[in-house]
Amino acid sequence: PMIVHGQVHGGIGQGVGQALLENAHYDDNGQLLTASYMDYCMPRADDLPSMQVDCLVTACTHNDLGVKGCGEAGAIASPPALINAVIDALTPFGVTDLSMPATPEKVWRAIQDAQAKAAE
Amino acid sequence: MYATTYVKATDVADAASRLDAADDGKLLAGGMTLLPTLKQRLANPDCLVDLAGCDLGGISDDGDSIRIGAMTRHVDVANAPVVQKAIPAVAHLAGHIGDRQVRNRGTIGGSVANNDPSACYPSAVLALGGTVHTQNRSIAADEFFTGMFDTALDEDEIITAISLPKPEKAGYVKFPNPASRYAMVGVFVAKFADGVRVAVTGAGEDGVFRATDIEAALDADFSVGAIDKVSISADGLMSDIHASADYRAHLIAEMARRAVTACG
Repeated sequence: PMIVHGQVHGGIGQGVGQALLENAHYDDNGQLLTASYMDYCMPRADDLPSMQVDCLVTACTHNDLGVKGCGEAGAIASPPALINAVIDALTPFGVTDLSMPATPEKVWRAIQDAQAKAAE
Repeated sequence: MYATTYVKATDVADAASRLDAADDGKLLAGGMTLLPTLKQRLANPDCLVDLAGCDLGGISDDGDSIRIGAMTRHVDVANAPVVQKAIPAVAHLAGHIGDRQVRNRGTIGGSVANNDPSACYPSAVLALGGTVHTQNRSIAADEFFTGMFDTALDEDEIITAISLPKPEKAGYVKFPNPASRYAMVGVFVAKFADGVRVAVTGAGEDGVFRATDIEAALDADFSVGAIDKVSISADGLMSDIHASADYRAHLIAEMARRAVTACG
């Protein structure tokens, strides 16, 4: 159903934000520095690819209607999928871990650090 | 925002006298920077002088250069056949500022006068060796951009137009800040018969600047590979929550390579 596909799209968008973009940055005094959307990066439509959602329909056995929630599925699955993909891409450099969000500078620095370590 | 007075000037002379009469007047062009600043109470001008009625829009072909009226919106520069033909890199730059809403209101004069260290236009004006025209004089780009949010404009001086010389070829590539879409680093490369000029925006602590090392390398050999031989120092580059100075130095080289490629 369209509402399920829409929920999954939104969930994946939220997960992409968490994995790649969104960063609540505080200074040493506890002041939030990313206090507007000029600094805090919410995922936008052009940050996301087109998606095709497939459903494997299994009825829930714990209630009479057989229904279950679907909104969180995309949000839960997409960050590990994305971060695993980033780590996989960085494996040749010897990078084994990266904290979210995997921003361009963080990825670049992980590569720099790994290369510096390898050169020692 | 704080209360202020709004006046719509009828021509440039009227705008200058209105500005002169105000204690702390501000010129309003497209308002894409000024209005958010007012809304957040970061500025408190007693008078806003709107330039919308001063007939400062329009683009003309002056032979060796194109002349863009100060109130010309980004969308109009991006879509102008004369710009697309003579300096496609400028049409590309204008077509990628901010978002669609910003491009429908923001103006070249407003962007250049504000000299935001992350704005796109200053890099084009500087790399092309452009000229900033005001009601009083014409200022060469090399003398115009004097520091972060700072220009050679006098008080009550109003930009009327910008002239951009036509290069043999040019390219502009930016690495946009993912949140604001301002340039985290933007590099404009312009190749003229008498040499290459390269300007970098988004990176310098003093705003837009010419990358003379890259210019020298490209003068000797106009190729992507030439930039690999240039060592770009992080000294004098901005460091903030979005990018450190050394990452910006890395991005300058990368955006310069892409800008040379974009020259075709």
